[in-house]
Amino acid sequence: MRTRLSLSLLIAFSLLGFIWPFLVPSQGLADRASWFFLASTPIAVALIVALVSQEELGSKKIALLGTLTALIAALRPLGIGAIGIEPMWFALILAARAMGPTFGFLLGSLSMLLSALLTGGVGPWLAYQVCAAALIGTGVALIPSSLRGRSEVFALVLYGVIASAIFGIAMNLQFWPWALGSGTELSYLPGAPLTENLTRFFSYHFLSSLAWDIPRAILTATFIAVAAHPVLNALRRLQMRSRFVEPHEIEELVLANVRAKRPSVDR
Amino acid sequence: MWIFFIVLAIGVVASGNSLHALGAIFLAAVIVQFKGETGPWRRSFRWSLYAGLYLLAIRLFTSIVIGVPIPGTTIFTLPRLSLPSWLPGIRIGGPVTLERVSNSLQEAVIIAAVIALFGAANSVTSPHKLLRTLPAHVYQISVALTIATSIVPQFISSIARIREAQVLRNGLRPRLSSIAVPLLEESLTRSAHLAESMESRGYGLSRKRSKYRPFSFSIIDIYFLISAAIISSVMVLA
Amino acid sequence: MIKFSGVSLLYPQARRTVLDSLTCEIAEGEMVLVMGHTGSGKSSLLRLVNGLVPHHTGGILAGEIIVDGLSTRTLRPGELAGIVGIVGQNPIDGFVADTVEEEIAFGMESLNFAPELMRKRVEEALDQVGLAHLRDRTIATLSGGEQQRVAIASALVMHPKVLLLDEPTSALDPIAAEEILALLHRLVHDLSITVIIAEHRLERVIGYVDRILLIEEDGKSHLGLPEEILTMSNLVPPIVKLARALHLPDIGTSTRDVRRATTQFRESLPDVAAPVRAFGAPTVVAENVTVQYQAKIALSNASLTLHSGEITALMGRNGAGKSSLIRSIVGVQKVSAGKISVNGKSISEYSSVERAQLIGYVPQEPGDLLFRTSVAQECVAADIESHLSPGTTLALLHENISAIDPQTHPRDLSEGQRLALVLSIVLASQPALLILDEPTRGLDYEAKERLAVYLRAIADDSATTVLIATHDVELVAELADRTIFLADGDKVADGSTIDVLLASPAFAPQVAKVMSPRRWLTVGDVLKSQQLSSE
Repeated sequence: MRTRLSLSLLIAFSLLGFIWPFLVPSQGLADRASWFFLASTPIAVALIVALVSQEELGSKKIALLGTLTALIAALRPLGIGAIGIEPMWFALILAARAMGPTFGFLLGSLSMLLSALLTGGVGPWLAYQVCAAALIGTGVALIPSSLRGRSEVFALVLYGVIASAIFGIAMNLQFWPWALGSGTELSYLPGAPLTENLTRFFSYHFLSSLAWDIPRAILTATFIAVAAHPVLNALRRLQMRSRFVEPHEIEELVLANVRAKRPSVDR
Repeated sequence: MWIFFIVLAIGVVASGNSLHALGAIFLAAVIVQFKGETGPWRRSFRWSLYAGLYLLAIRLFTSIVIGVPIPGTTIFTLPRLSLPSWLPGIRIGGPVTLERVSNSLQEAVIIAAVIALFGAANSVTSPHKLLRTLPAHVYQISVALTIATSIVPQFISSIARIREAQVLRNGLRPRLSSIAVPLLEESLTRSAHLAESMESRGYGLSRKRSKYRPFSFSIIDIYFLISAAIISSVMVLA
Repeated sequence: MIKFSGVSLLYPQARRTVLDSLTCEIAEGEMVLVMGHTGSGKSSLLRLVNGLVPHHTGGILAGEIIVDGLSTRTLRPGELAGIVGIVGQNPIDGFVADTVEEEIAFGMESLNFAPELMRKRVEEALDQVGLAHLRDRTIATLSGGEQQRVAIASALVMHPKVLLLDEPTSALDPIAAEEILALLHRLVHDLSITVIIAEHRLERVIGYVDRILLIEEDGKSHLGLPEEILTMSNLVPPIVKLARALHLPDIGTSTRDVRRATTQFRESLPDVAAPVRAFGAPTVVAENVTVQYQAKIALSNASLTLHSGEITALMGRNGAGKSSLIRSIVGVQKVSAGKISVNGKSISEYSSVERAQLIGYVPQEPGDLLFRTSVAQECVAADIESHLSPGTTLALLHENISAIDPQTHPRDLSEGQRLALVLSIVLASQPALLILDEPTRGLDYEAKERLAVYLRAIADDSATTVLIATHDVELVAELADRTIFLADGDKVADGSTIDVLLASPAFAPQVAKVMSPRRWLTVGDVLKSQQLSSE
């Protein structure tokens, strides 16, 4: 119970870190707020990650977590140079779908963190990236877990497109106050009405990152559509169950399998 | 070392002076030169400098093109452009003042300095050592991250290997999907072997874990901490 | 120490049991070899002993396995860690930490040992495997043999009574393999640890083991002394094949025993002139090639000439420069000095499409080339890429292995089948040069023989130049016309296989060791000689 409470508080705090420019009343407070959030969001995100990781995951999931984190971190640089080509999202979404929301949360945050550490992309934006990626990983749980087959793939593709768009918005939200600074036409205006700031933000968003968002959405959607089936199958196969039976039952099972004409799987 | 750089960064921000910021960048460069580690993260300082420069460029560009002029000396005036009606209320062009430009640049330099300091911290410590300092109750993450940091270089060479084999097969540059599938297969096989190895050695049986080499502050670390504190205070007071 | 009672194992959705009513006992301090075809239950059997099967890997199990008095039914694998240690197939896959020390300490950390105890045990383990001088090295920088020893040390640190190893020597060159086996032998004889090894390369292990457990394709198994089992098995190492071929009364498991039994043959049988093979024109010419990575010289001043229709083996320890040489020949590695030309033209002048037509490269991981969802799709793609009539590649594959279902997913193929698929894809365009990198890893004797026959046919019928980089001495003896030896970047031998292999004691095939100083490399050679004498 206590963990749930602290988790919700921390998540609310990190979200605040994204949207504070809309809420701050005056210029003076704005500068302080900027630094405050830049400094405290990393701490909040770190605490969230620590809390989430308290849940026992078991060796299979941790091994998979480590390996997939490495995979995503290794794939990410392949996209550098081409605008918006970010191969990490499809892997994250599919893995989160097969392994659950906690796994998705951890995979998103850790892979973002690791690839930043390895490529030197450490900066004020990192905590926000980590937070956004983690939430995208968790959000997959919104898709009902009983969905399978075509409808599952469709839902995942849809999620992929939405997630790409949201990631773009989230990144711009956090760039907005400090990359642009105050005092430009597109900057946030402390104390201004919400609609004013929103229009400014969206103008900024359209002008700056649509070029990234659209390819990202397209690439993610395509990869998910193509790879969902094999990847989900492969991941789900890892979770084989064990059973103890009497000797004669084994013969019966073999006969049943032969009769059902299942393809024999070489082990 | 991370703490050193963080304290320095706090000092830079608190002093609000861009000259101090430039000095900090210089100091960071010197340290990286002498203590830079080997490994793919070595270049992060350079990248962070690029990022800082990029930021400066953005700030410069936006302050010239869409900046609200602070009254003062006008450098030059750009022609006004009006935008289509669905991007309302934005004025592009207009007088560009020195104060506006310098104001933007100064803020940018400070932020660039913070970025550079973080980049330097990254260059100087290896992620493995960083991970060993994590306390025992986030051990699941530290194990996952340790695994990941060890595997990434191997995946990178796997990608090169797969690419070579496929180029030799049909002469065309392999697409992302044709590299990603074998790589994914490899990662799944690996993680299965890894999980077996971990499980066989007793991972996950006990909630408590001990540390083989517990992390402790050494004299050098304390030395660095004190000097960072001194430098920062100097920056703030001056 | 280990007792199997009526153990049967079935994987869900499989049509055959992996193990069928296995009942046997393994005593303390025994070294047991588990052998069988690929896909038989060797790996599963090992994992039954430490509980990974069925708790971790899944599976349906009947019967009981009792290790040192404890049943694996009720205990998780980690709980058995103090009694059973396991070293998996690819040690590098199982590493968790970056340095040797941290890796060895991992298990103890998980079980919450006190730091002083951990230090002591790590030192002990390092000494036992002889790695004390490498303790702070990063594991990724170690050689294959050293990595294998780190994996063994990580298991030994828990003071287990049983040690399980899955194909410990498959990735190692013959010398490193000997070192590991000697280490295991010492552990068995000095510490009375029970060691169970699953292995394909029987010729390496056969001299060390006390008993053999043979698992047949239907799941039935036999445990007995090496002589008994090898008499009934159809997978046998060369010295047993030799004993059978010469109709010796007993089969021996060591060179010494078989040597004593064959003295008379050695003295009486005549020499056989080596078959003269007419080779075609030189296809690959490398002159004074040097390859340098930053500070390290991988290959220095190497020159060689390969002819069409000739099968050449490239041998040497890991890190000797084999892959640098191969990669330079195919043109993906820039050379710091020297020239390489294929079919008269410098390799760098070919466009990549031309080069792909000219050279067929089978990588060490055949799976690197496979990314489609069925065998049929891969064949179709190969036909399109090489501009062939549809169905050519699939037909080629069926010539080699008839029993492959085209709808199988490439991941579900066995090692041998995957290799055959990649060979078909690569050979579809009828390249002038065929290069294989360690093709026999993970293949059992039958699959290796099929491969050898196939490659010989290709070299003879299509005059293809074949180059194989390998550690497998027996394959080289069987197949290669010529052998090139690299050591530390230098070419130290280049000549006919029989000359090169007989000159090196460590890399000599079993038959040569038994029949030394006579010049015979394989059982076939000896039989030919026998035939000659009876005429």
